[in-house]
Amino acid sequence: MNILEIMFGWMATVDPKALVLGASAIGAGLAMIAGIGPGIGQGFAAGKAAEAMGKNPEHGGKPATLVMLLGAAVAETSGIFSLVIAIIMLFANPLVGRDGAAIILAASAIGAGFAMIAGIGPGIGQGYAAGKAAEAVGKRPKLQSAIVRTMLLGQAVAQTTGIYALIIALLLLFVELF
Amino acid sequence: MDEQLDFGIHMLIPLFTTENGDVFGFTTTHVNTWIIMAILTIFGFYVKKKVEAFTIVPETKFQVAIETIVSMFESFTISTMGEKNKGFAHFYGPMFLFILFANLSGLILLRPPTADIATTFALSLTTFFMVQLYGIKSKGLGYYKELFQPIPLLFPLNVVGELANPISLSFRLFGNILGGTIIMGLYYAMIPWIGLLGIPSILHMYFDVFAGTLQTLIFVMLSMTFVSSAME
Repeated sequence: MNILEIMFGWMATVDPKALVLGASAIGAGLAMIAGIGPGIGQGFAAGKAAEAMGKNPEHGGKPATLVMLLGAAVAETSGIFSLVIAIIMLFANPLVGRDGAAIILAASAIGAGFAMIAGIGPGIGQGYAAGKAAEAVGKRPKLQSAIVRTMLLGQAVAQTTGIYALIIALLLLFVELF
Repeated sequence: MDEQLDFGIHMLIPLFTTENGDVFGFTTTHVNTWIIMAILTIFGFYVKKKVEAFTIVPETKFQVAIETIVSMFESFTISTMGEKNKGFAHFYGPMFLFILFANLSGLILLRPPTADIATTFALSLTTFFMVQLYGIKSKGLGYYKELFQPIPLLFPLNVVGELANPISLSFRLFGNILGGTIIMGLYYAMIPWIGLLGIPSILHMYFDVFAGTLQTLIFVMLSMTFVSSAME
């Protein structure tokens, strides 16, 4: 308890603007952790497409590559959301210059960054879907459009929790909640 | 630099101010939506004028193009909603075109109307009420029995799940288009002139053309799936 009290006491003495700016820097860094998700997912998709190419190079390879690229681009979405939140905090921070307790504004910046870590989940999941779709298209190239449709639908639903994280991050940054 | 960085919604024609200091009026979203509506309406009238001269076997390239677009929407609707719901193509076709034009309007330096939560939430509320309407129409009030499945204890969770659909639907489109708008605005504001040769076209390809088309497809497809699953 003493350590916490000392820390809060020290934070109260710091210039409010500096405190908010420092917290925004931490928040921007935290947000980018979400990049783990798309990385793993896209890697899996790439591996599955390579496998499909190896098994059926004549007919299935090219469609599988196309599906992999499409699915990997969708899996990138959570990374882009994180990038947007990080960029807002670095270059167009709405928290700087707002009236209110500096500690709450600083915590909002860190919280917005934390929320975006949820992007790991959709990134991995969508990448997995993209990989499985590439595998299926490699086996049955004629069903490409039906497989792509199912993949996109599932990926869109898998994105939902990432979108909730984005909503919370935008609320923390732009709306005066407290 | 902050003055150059510009991706917000602007009040173009302020009408009146409330007691709290909020300004009401026509924003860039309204004006850009009207521009897109005007383009689509003029195109519609043009096609209507030309359609009288259409022959059974297409002779002009224009007729082939129009018939391709219409049959594309019909086959897309049939494959997503089933043969008996073919009529929904008349609703989802124009919706698709509107969202597509709205997403692509960033290419001609308009701020995309879909980068405003008001537009996308209105579109997803349309879906929400269509789901309720067609659910009741095909099953009567028994449609709401599904909320008590599999056990009545889950009723609150089912209600939250039902209400979360329009929110996630609208924010999916909004977040993607807003992300593209912010990144493009930042790029134009920060990069010196040498970086503005050629490279923005690649970024526009990804954020406007690819993401815009894909999100249009996903929005319409999810909306179709929600409505048709309420009817089954």
